[in-house]
Amino acid sequence: MKTIRVCCGTGCLANGSRLVAEEFEKKLKELKADAQVECEVKRTGCNGFCENGPLVTIMPEEIAYYHVKPENVEEIIEKTILNGEPVEKLLYKNDQGQRVTSQSENPFYAPQKKIALRNIGKIAPCSVEDYKASGGYEALKKALAMTPEEIIAEINLSGLRGRGGAGFPTGRKWESAACYDVTPKYVACNGDEGDPGAFMDRSILEGDPHSVLEGMAICALAIGAEEGFLYIRDEYSLAVNNIKEAIRAAEAAGILGDDILGSGKKLKLQVVRGGGAFVCGESTALMASVEGRVGEPRAKYIRSVQKGLWEKPTVLNNVETLANVPYIILHGGANYASVGTEKSKGTKVFALVGKVKRTGLVEVPMGATLRHLIFDIGGGIQNDRPFKAVQTGGPSGGCIPDSMLDLPVDFDTLKEYGAMMGSGGMIVMDDRSCMVEVARYYVQFLCGESCGKCTPCREGLKQMLAILTDICEGKGKIEDLDLLEELGEMMQDASLCALGKSAPNPVLTTLKYFRNEYEAHILEHRCPAGVCTKLTSFAIDPEKCKGCTACAKACPAGAISGELKTPHHIDKTICISCGSCREACRFGAVMTEGRDA
Amino acid sequence: MNITIDGKSCQCEKGEYILQIARRNGIIIPTLCHHDGFPGQGSCRLCIVEVNEGSGPKVVVSCVYPVSKECVVFTNSEKIRKQRGMILTLLQKRAPESEEIKAFCKMYGAPEIDRFVKVDNSKCILCGLCVKACTELSVGAISTINRGITKEIATPYHEPSSVCVGCGSCAYVCPTGAIAIEETDETRTIWGKTFHLVHCTSCGSVIGTEEELACAAQKAGHEPDTLCGPCRKKELAKAFRHTYGEIPAE
Repeated sequence: MKTIRVCCGTGCLANGSRLVAEEFEKKLKELKADAQVECEVKRTGCNGFCENGPLVTIMPEEIAYYHVKPENVEEIIEKTILNGEPVEKLLYKNDQGQRVTSQSENPFYAPQKKIALRNIGKIAPCSVEDYKASGGYEALKKALAMTPEEIIAEINLSGLRGRGGAGFPTGRKWESAACYDVTPKYVACNGDEGDPGAFMDRSILEGDPHSVLEGMAICALAIGAEEGFLYIRDEYSLAVNNIKEAIRAAEAAGILGDDILGSGKKLKLQVVRGGGAFVCGESTALMASVEGRVGEPRAKYIRSVQKGLWEKPTVLNNVETLANVPYIILHGGANYASVGTEKSKGTKVFALVGKVKRTGLVEVPMGATLRHLIFDIGGGIQNDRPFKAVQTGGPSGGCIPDSMLDLPVDFDTLKEYGAMMGSGGMIVMDDRSCMVEVARYYVQFLCGESCGKCTPCREGLKQMLAILTDICEGKGKIEDLDLLEELGEMMQDASLCALGKSAPNPVLTTLKYFRNEYEAHILEHRCPAGVCTKLTSFAIDPEKCKGCTACAKACPAGAISGELKTPHHIDKTICISCGSCREACRFGAVMTEGRDA
Repeated sequence: MNITIDGKSCQCEKGEYILQIARRNGIIIPTLCHHDGFPGQGSCRLCIVEVNEGSGPKVVVSCVYPVSKECVVFTNSEKIRKQRGMILTLLQKRAPESEEIKAFCKMYGAPEIDRFVKVDNSKCILCGLCVKACTELSVGAISTINRGITKEIATPYHEPSSVCVGCGSCAYVCPTGAIAIEETDETRTIWGKTFHLVHCTSCGSVIGTEEELACAAQKAGHEPDTLCGPCRKKELAKAFRHTYGEIPAE
């Protein structure tokens, strides 16, 4: 029996993987009429290597194909399904230029250790049978035979900390909620992933929804809850659908609902769709939104484990945290704690994006260095340009320079340097990224996404944006830098919630590690990266230009002239400084200059 | 238990808010969004203080910070003065027309920062007290709309609200007088809607709008009032006199 796994995560679907799956089904049906082929097509969740999609894996040979199109299907069936031979051209080419057959030989997958993502890409997401076949719901069975104290002790032993970014010990959170003798209590799942470029939770919700449900059920047993909510942002339509389908399937199978696996225990789960506000990923704002109120945070001096949803004890865990729970119960806390660093146990999923050669979702043990993530798994910087910075933790995180690439990534280390691991977004930038513009981008993002309730965050961000925009346009003053720092420090201390407290991080870290770029903008009216259009003009080095015309073809303004095989010229009066010519040039002949130069 | 605020030992109970304890002990902490009737906003952040519970000082908001153990509080440390000044400067850019903010800026030495842009021309500091009053006292006719730097307080779609009863609670609690309320002898206009005023059948003074009285009557479960507060007391006194007789003069 062969299985054709067709990745049907959001990325691969966008690349046309549904057509590939349909083509397989159609062709196999035709084939079955005249030959004995036992083969099933399985539509799986996201394999994490989306830019190379659609991905197809043939089991049990483990032959992994990339960029599969419907027209490749016939060849795959003929060669691989019928004769067991790989289709060379669809295999992944490693850094040495060799074609590799399985995922485990692929340099993107080989160094990974999958716990949270253990089933994704292997099973049909909503199927209870598939999930059970890979060990699913065994942990729930085991937990039903344990006391709440034993469950919590196991989670405590594992050292699991909240994967949403704050890193609060999960066991301690459960313990606090369990000790209140109040009914009802609630269990909730935070699926409001909002950091730009991050898609860890989406992948889990889409590709292995039962692992999250099982995690919630175990949590409910531990704290004594009978009702739960999954707050998932509405933009994640596939995730919402799959979770709902998985809840229905689990209830039909007697796993959730009024009688969990015949134990008499209850758990009713319900999906709440988030309206797309970034701030609703903050726990108290999320709860306000679930209750139907405006999504604004409250002061957390009284914690949600005491007074959460409808003022009742509530445990809110992140998607990835919950996906780890069944693994811990099944394999033991000590087993889980053997992975990772002293204070950050287990693995972490990162969304590695930006200017790296291999982008995607990667799961590695805690404590892996940034260098390992970016240069080994990510394969280094695109076009071998110099690395400049990596932005971790989304709008709450910071920008880390190359001198800190050997830092281990865990909950605590990056914080000491003003950044944070956060929920696992990791945006890699090369020398053509302007750090002032990056800071401005994040502040602008937060200006729209702050809830606007407290003064420091709302008004502070507004003023920061005005100053940063001025700097990017060459209207900054050198005193602005001190003012930005003073404003940032006040926001860190006086803001209401974690969004406001961490909002200045992108500005403060870029000021700390890339101050020279700010100074170049202000004092020399020059954007060193050639990004800020008002401070940048481009010129062609006649020595290097081969006259290939690539730049002229790329120029949207028609500012470049020149004959074939003779050096080209940019008319600066027409040029809009978009940088398309620089991207197009293969000879490094396009130079950046200041606007006034 | 006891905590120390600005060097003064203050008796308090566990769970009390620092602002409460300070005020009881005559220590002034400035606030804008705090109202004794509707506590717990924590949005203006003017009442920040430094608290040291043994693990070093941290900045907290005194109006919603409950005391859980013995601690030392500074309401006016250098750090607090600086940050409070910055908050006031920001608020002044938001609400340059507000006399209250101007006075606070002067009182707490808020720095003039010309570099900051003027955000609005109004008096509203978006503290949300009006929304809370409307929700809890009346009908929920106003709400914050949008988020982030475009947040504002408004009726749905900026149109006169169909449910507003014109009680004016929002304007009453507003710390900066930002909500316009216009009254003639017969009408009250607020949030773009004009209401008829009801007068006391005894003395003729204004007792509220028709809608407001109907709303209150519905909540209380009796007929709408026809008398103003003092006249109602007089009527009640008559009833008492009838029941218990005149109090004999000495």
